[in-house]
Amino acid sequence: MSAGPGIYFDGKTSTRQAVTVDAAPTALRILSNDGATLAEWPYADLQSLAAPENLLRLGRRSTRSLERLEIRDTGLAAMIDQLAVSIDRTGIAERRGRKKVIAWTFAACASLVLVAVFGVPAIADRLAPLIPLSVERNLGVAVDKQIRAMLDTSRSNGRPFECGDASRERAGREALDRLMRRMERAAELPIPLDAKVVRRREANAIALPGGHIYVFEGLIQRARSPDELAAVLAHEIGHVANRDGTRSILQAAGLSFLFGMLLGDFTGGGVVVIAARTIVQSAYARDVEAAADLYGVRLMAKIGGDGKALGTILERIGGLEPGITILSDHPETKARIQAINAAAWPKTGDPVMSPDDWVALTRICG
Amino acid sequence: MTFVDLPGAVPGGGVVTPPPTTAVPSVPLTPSRAQGPVRFTGNGRAYLWLLIRGALLLAVTLGIYRFWLSTDVRRFLWVHTEIDGDSLEYTGTPFELLIGFLIAVAVLIPIYVGLFVLALNLGVIGQFMGILALPLLAFLGQFAVYRARRYRLTRTVFRGIRFHQGGSALRFAVYAMFWWILIVLTIGLAYPFAQAALERFKMKNTYYGNLRGRFEGSGFDLLFRGIAMWLLVMVPLVGSIAYASAAIDWSSIKSISGATDFEELLRQFSAANPKLVLTLGTAMAIANLSVTFAILLFPVFQAVVMRWWINGLRIGEVAISSQLRVGTIYYSYVRFVGWSLLLGLIAIIVAIIGAVVMAVVGKSVAGQQSMEILGVVGAVLFYVVIMLGYSTIYQATVKLTMWRHAVATVAIANLPALDNVVAEGVPSSALGEGLADALNVGGI
Repeated sequence: MSAGPGIYFDGKTSTRQAVTVDAAPTALRILSNDGATLAEWPYADLQSLAAPENLLRLGRRSTRSLERLEIRDTGLAAMIDQLAVSIDRTGIAERRGRKKVIAWTFAACASLVLVAVFGVPAIADRLAPLIPLSVERNLGVAVDKQIRAMLDTSRSNGRPFECGDASRERAGREALDRLMRRMERAAELPIPLDAKVVRRREANAIALPGGHIYVFEGLIQRARSPDELAAVLAHEIGHVANRDGTRSILQAAGLSFLFGMLLGDFTGGGVVVIAARTIVQSAYARDVEAAADLYGVRLMAKIGGDGKALGTILERIGGLEPGITILSDHPETKARIQAINAAAWPKTGDPVMSPDDWVALTRICG
Repeated sequence: MTFVDLPGAVPGGGVVTPPPTTAVPSVPLTPSRAQGPVRFTGNGRAYLWLLIRGALLLAVTLGIYRFWLSTDVRRFLWVHTEIDGDSLEYTGTPFELLIGFLIAVAVLIPIYVGLFVLALNLGVIGQFMGILALPLLAFLGQFAVYRARRYRLTRTVFRGIRFHQGGSALRFAVYAMFWWILIVLTIGLAYPFAQAALERFKMKNTYYGNLRGRFEGSGFDLLFRGIAMWLLVMVPLVGSIAYASAAIDWSSIKSISGATDFEELLRQFSAANPKLVLTLGTAMAIANLSVTFAILLFPVFQAVVMRWWINGLRIGEVAISSQLRVGTIYYSYVRFVGWSLLLGLIAIIVAIIGAVVMAVVGKSVAGQQSMEILGVVGAVLFYVVIMLGYSTIYQATVKLTMWRHAVATVAIANLPALDNVVAEGVPSSALGEGLADALNVGGI
């Protein structure tokens, strides 16, 4: 038996035509009930289309028309399946195509990770120096506002967040300004520096784009010599000089873009983007901190201070933690201290600040 | 699966379709199709398998597989939906979706970059760029919704004839933005009218071959069906605000002086209002009632809107009506919550075991740094599995039930009008799908 019943839609109207389908040697012939040939489809032109399990739905490859032939007769369907090589009823061809896609996606992901780890920082490194200082200053103002909102958690018992404004704190503020002016002259940066001490218990300091430096009260309390405090300031000035804040903003934007675009509608993609960014960025941070350490040591040498002081304060506080991150942004402290000691010159000049100034500075927060 | 079971008259539909088994059908049915005009023939297990496999591939391809998965899902749903004996066909391909996505990326990159540069240049004002960008992206989202609908319709074939959609997506987006602003301003009361108006816009531009669609649902009708729910959610909320503002002596806030920070202000304020904590607590408890109602009523709301929507659909002379039951939709949500809780329980057990193993084995092998990174990678992996798990459960319970039940409870009047439709329309590009994907406003 080479013929059986089928339903034919001619693609011009929705009329359902009960037809006889004849599986001839070279082509499928569609015959109306009165015996007239409605269409003749060569086997090579046949295409199997999405249909329920018990139905063979055929169309033609070569035409844009939506002509359809539907066959429920399993015997006839199996015969057509054998005659027409192009029919992919079991879906083998499509599965093969999909495997290819999945394999290439793997390759693309690998390449994406490489771009994220090596490409984005390279681009950010080259872009950051090109950003005009005026833009960097604007950026600094915006970031400054957000960072302040994040840090100022109103735990200062009614006193202002910034230290150095009350009358008994003013001497400390002047001492800090003198130290900063000395370091600024030595650093010769194209951007003015602005260091402030704020009431936070952590022993930390942060540098923002645009030359803003925040020193936390906790750091001043734990520093045992003016050189230690100056060394931390020198490290932060290193971040400003290397334009690390701007670079990290460029990197964050680039990485969000890279991962965000790719992941698209993927459920919960947003969180994955942030996590991926954190991991990749904390990897960048290790190099950045090492560079700032070196800069800090050199700047200390320029002002005649003790570069090794950066190592001693690091050892005491166990690494400077910039901001609130889940990953340690600093290379393991021991290795850092070794690198610092290797690069440091012996102390040559006068003390970085007078003993009176140092006493005043330790009381900058009252 | 239940077939159409009509009590005689269809509320809202206006046209009566008899149950297929009764003796005198006013609309003659072809003898060969005795099972009822519309039915769903899909197998829930096969669908679940498709979803689970898809979720695994999504995870390993960082989401690129989504184009293949959504094509598979649509094919499954379309092909197993049978109208008057003939099944629908979905002719869209994953590659079309991929290309649509790439076009969308090409369109969106300049916009994103432009916004970023603008934010950099504006300094302080730049901080508000996010807020300024939101309406623009919402507008693009509505544009995408309309264009994506057009893609899906032109890839839907029934009896060798495609559906298609005209109308300007830009006009739709303007229209939709206007209505959404109104919805916000009226705290949701405009929602029924917005739905009716937007659906009228969509349906009057929808065609099956040369048959033009229209929408006959009325906003008042939906308002009438939903107002009780709206009141249940709104009354406690408004009540709690009113109670709090009446019971607290707000005038005392003026007499507070010398308070430089919020804590000091709060301290003086509560001194002036000795029962402040109690009052605020009561108000919060009442407001919580609103939230509870909103969560419990959400499936009901969805079912009511869906039935109202299906009842309003018309294509040419063909009228569609629905006997959708709220209970069925509600039960699907209960199943979703049940399976989700089970998944959550398993996930917590696995996480605890993983943490213990890492603490015992990992510490001796790896350094602190690599342990931290390992921890984050583990947490991300955990999160991805959980999110994909929930989304799979949601698709397999709520979404499938909605489609299956909506299809199974549909009655169609004047079916013969579908027998002589003339082909019209051309396939559209998948730009809308791509935009919707990139902007996270995707539909099915």
